[in-house]
Amino acid sequence: MQILLALGGLSEAKRLVPITSAHVSGASYKMIGDSGLEFLEDFARDARVAVPTTVNPLGTDLAQWKELGIPPDFAEKQARIARAYATMGVRPSFSCTPYLIGVRPGLGEHVAWAESNAVCFANSVLGARTNREGGPSALAASIVGATPEDGLHTDEGRKPTIVVHVTTKPRGLDFSLIGLVAGERVGEGLPYFRGFRGTEEDQKWLGAALASSGSCGMYHLDGVTPEARRAPTRGLPSMTITRRDLVAAKRSYTDGNEADVIALGSPQLSEHEVREIAHRVERTPPRIPVWVFTSRTVRDANLEAVGIIERHGGRVLADTCLEVTLLEHRFGTVATPSGKGAYYLPSLCKQKVILDDIERLLERYA
Amino acid sequence: MKIRGRRIVPGHAAGDVLASPVPFSFVGGADPVAGKILDPSTGVADERLAGRIFAFPHGKGSTVGSYVIYGLAKREVGPAGIVNASAEGIVAVGAILAGIPMVDRIDTAGLRTGDRIVLDGARGTVELPDVRATPVVTAVLRNRGRILIVRRSEKVGSFRGRWSAISGHLEGREDPKARAVQEVREETGLRRLAFRAAGAPILARHDETVYVVHPFLFDVASRRVRLDWENVEHRWVRPGEELDRLQTVPRLKDVVASVLR
Repeated sequence: MQILLALGGLSEAKRLVPITSAHVSGASYKMIGDSGLEFLEDFARDARVAVPTTVNPLGTDLAQWKELGIPPDFAEKQARIARAYATMGVRPSFSCTPYLIGVRPGLGEHVAWAESNAVCFANSVLGARTNREGGPSALAASIVGATPEDGLHTDEGRKPTIVVHVTTKPRGLDFSLIGLVAGERVGEGLPYFRGFRGTEEDQKWLGAALASSGSCGMYHLDGVTPEARRAPTRGLPSMTITRRDLVAAKRSYTDGNEADVIALGSPQLSEHEVREIAHRVERTPPRIPVWVFTSRTVRDANLEAVGIIERHGGRVLADTCLEVTLLEHRFGTVATPSGKGAYYLPSLCKQKVILDDIERLLERYA
Repeated sequence: MKIRGRRIVPGHAAGDVLASPVPFSFVGGADPVAGKILDPSTGVADERLAGRIFAFPHGKGSTVGSYVIYGLAKREVGPAGIVNASAEGIVAVGAILAGIPMVDRIDTAGLRTGDRIVLDGARGTVELPDVRATPVVTAVLRNRGRILIVRRSEKVGSFRGRWSAISGHLEGREDPKARAVQEVREETGLRRLAFRAAGAPILARHDETVYVVHPFLFDVASRRVRLDWENVEHRWVRPGEELDRLQTVPRLKDVVASVLR
């Protein structure tokens, strides 16, 4: 409670607003280390969540860590973090895509979510209301069941600050590229996109990239997202993204030559995406491993697709995701179609990156 | 010298200042077990946090920083208190979890490593018993995007020949804004002022004196200035680079930036 009041005080929020769900980050041992483990174990002694709460991916798949060559000490500490969250009553989702596993707050519903891609999706695609929480603040909110009413919780905070015209028709990787380019230029702003449409899946990649290269917690997409129609755009500054910008972004985020692995995640793949990958891998068998990151829920429900991918030398990993897992002990260069992955892999996993469409990657490494 | 900031975490702390001029990330920036500073850009690498009042502009980096602060305090190697210019969630949450008294809205650039300091978290104040404070007001006058700077004469008591905004000493319990208006009238003859902003005090350090500068911004309708004996020359300049090229009083650029934001 003290945390929420202090945070509310910093932003000069007038009151706390009740939330219907929380999503906490800070679960990978690789990311939070001994300091995080220690805090969570101490905190779990008496803290219990007051609202349904999900948690971000861990640093490894809890069922496959041995095969992955994860050091036993790492796996043991990772399991302790998972236990601490379970003790607090957090659902062991270990997913960065709560919105793909049944947590879908409705229009105008207040929630407290950490994990930037999930925040962007909840605000933009679902019309729910959350700020970009950090791990500790989302955890505090889950225990109190409320969060300071400021920023993206208010009508004022959801108004666009810049209009982004996209002059090319995007498909596949393009959604990640638009996100990367817009995020770099928009920074902390709130973009209103015009000129294209996209499915929920497309928008997942758009939002994840946008929230990585920028500090955006929300966007509007003209004619698509639920609050776009009422968003005031008159008099706003504007920018244009062309095909040339997307080509340049793809080039600038690529610094590798030969990939050791094709990695698909960041955010975790949906059921539909896992099946599609299985289909593609069967059609064009790759000569380097394909690692797929998804939630435990999706993996368990799609064992046939998992079997196909693994028979072709790949792995389908649950509980974890691309840049919070240990890759650095096995690989040096990762090929991925994820804009968010391309943004974080160099710093968080010391990887060189090849950013490209999945079709093209599978052709290249057939 | 006593300065008022804002309460973040209640509690008392006293000790020596450990000051970083740059924003700080506790993840990677501090050794979580030994409680030593690691980040060389702070200028205080290898210094221990224990028993010190750690002053830096604001936190940055991963939110895991909150947990690092908690762990430092648990091992009794964390700072005794924290002073920020502007608190953000990472450090504030960490200080709450750790029970470390914390105050913000203090211009940390005016604090030096080794200053003795007493922090009162509940009141949101810090006191530096060895430092003499000279309270002053500075009025930034703006007209169509340019601001007025004046060159101080040889007859004034300090910073002779340097460029400054309109400023003057604050006496006793006088209202800073009223004093600023008065100084503008005396030094420029300008009478039609529209108050626009007041900034948090800037601490301009000069030897053992700290000028506690209360910055104000006024829009003025005219550029016709009539100087008195305190200044010998005036210019209307664009805020920014132009100030870099001139010999100014300490921290004039920060004072200007604090009200133009």
